[in-house]
Amino acid sequence: MNPRLSTASVYGVAALLLAAPLLAGAAKGPALQLFPTTVLEDIKETGQVAGEMETGLQDVIARLDRQQQLYLESKCDGAEEDPGCARIAKQLGATYMEMLQIMSDRLPDMERAVNGTRTSLEKRLRGELGLKMTPWTLQETLLGNQPDGTEPAQPKLRGRSGLRLSERFRQYYSLVAQSGRGSDHSLAVVASDIYLDMEEASVLIAQTREEIGRATLLEELNQSFGVITPEMQQVVNGVKSILFGESGQVIELAGPPPGLDEMAYDSPLEW
Amino acid sequence: MSIEWTKKLSPARRVLRTVALLAVAATALYGCATPTPQCALSETRNLDGAIASAKDRLGAGCQAYFDGYMDQLLEVAAGDPDPENRRAFSEFLVWTSESGLLSKRQAQETWNRYFNVKYVSLQGDYNNCALTCPVRAQVMANMEEELADKERGLLEASQDRAGYYRADQLLKETELVLEATCRACAAGGR
Repeated sequence: MNPRLSTASVYGVAALLLAAPLLAGAAKGPALQLFPTTVLEDIKETGQVAGEMETGLQDVIARLDRQQQLYLESKCDGAEEDPGCARIAKQLGATYMEMLQIMSDRLPDMERAVNGTRTSLEKRLRGELGLKMTPWTLQETLLGNQPDGTEPAQPKLRGRSGLRLSERFRQYYSLVAQSGRGSDHSLAVVASDIYLDMEEASVLIAQTREEIGRATLLEELNQSFGVITPEMQQVVNGVKSILFGESGQVIELAGPPPGLDEMAYDSPLEW
Repeated sequence: MSIEWTKKLSPARRVLRTVALLAVAATALYGCATPTPQCALSETRNLDGAIASAKDRLGAGCQAYFDGYMDQLLEVAAGDPDPENRRAFSEFLVWTSESGLLSKRQAQETWNRYFNVKYVSLQGDYNNCALTCPVRAQVMANMEEELADKERGLLEASQDRAGYYRADQLLKETELVLEATCRACAAGGR
């Protein structure tokens, strides 16, 4: 959720989302109810929690990166007995523990928010697309009722790459708001995208919490970290991936080919 | 699974497939599985001429070769792509229906498979949780196959790039939405 969005504008958009399906429903039957205000609130809250977590972790992760870089540049790998390297390694371990502590404090809220969004969307998807629709009505919904020769309003999807988590939620919110003014087919795609994203985030959060538990136990057993182990690196990468995005390929729907042809002929056989 | 299996073939193809199998079996007895000379289409590269030839052969008892004729007609159309070719195929299939060679439903499914953005492979009377999700992978595979047919009909024969693009996009969207919906359905059953 974008903190710059005022409460008034949030309620304004919510009202619009509620009103749009009613207006559309008058013309073409019952509209999809994928994003009622409760789901919107969940999305908004998840964005806020993500923003707080990012703020808390940004410094410590940057410090961790610098220390690791220093460790490598000092050629400490294989020279752990060197007093200077031992000091850097100890600092690395301490910073890592600091990161785990911040996450340990913040993750329960994050997990609750992500799971809340996932659960509410899950219920909506099951009800609206899974139980109320046949395969045929689903494809008609996805296809929308585009007049010939016009472009369907396509949401730009797959926010999993290169974006902060809070920014992703801000974009989600924006997509939902735009789709609310548009058509059901966009809403179905957006809801599916967010839901799958939340499932992935939920798994990563659960894995990270497990790792925190393991690392804390090690610390309690006084086994200090010498270097960043592959497991530790995996956790750090996972956190970066969830919170700050990653530089993988952006999966986008294909763009239209140049020059759209008009559908000039309607067959009597056409459904 | 039987529902999905039968969806692999259009109804027109299902009926004609049976006839074709019998015909092939019969001709195989004479050591020849290709159309007999009297059932072969004329060599014309003109779609109207090829359709006239197909009508002539179908009316003369060569119904078993309907699938082959459709294939050849699409090939001829691809040689001279034109948006109006959709109409020519539609009129041809309406004729097959009115002549009693295909039922109206079969004619519709055949035409829509090649020339409509919507997928014949994605239909049914029950909800998605019950009908589609248990066989989602097969449904997607069938849609992929159908997209290849739409490529021949919409893109190659009719030059309808926008229609083909939309069909391609619909396939991608369906894949995403079904993945999410089927997970949600499964979670509801847990």
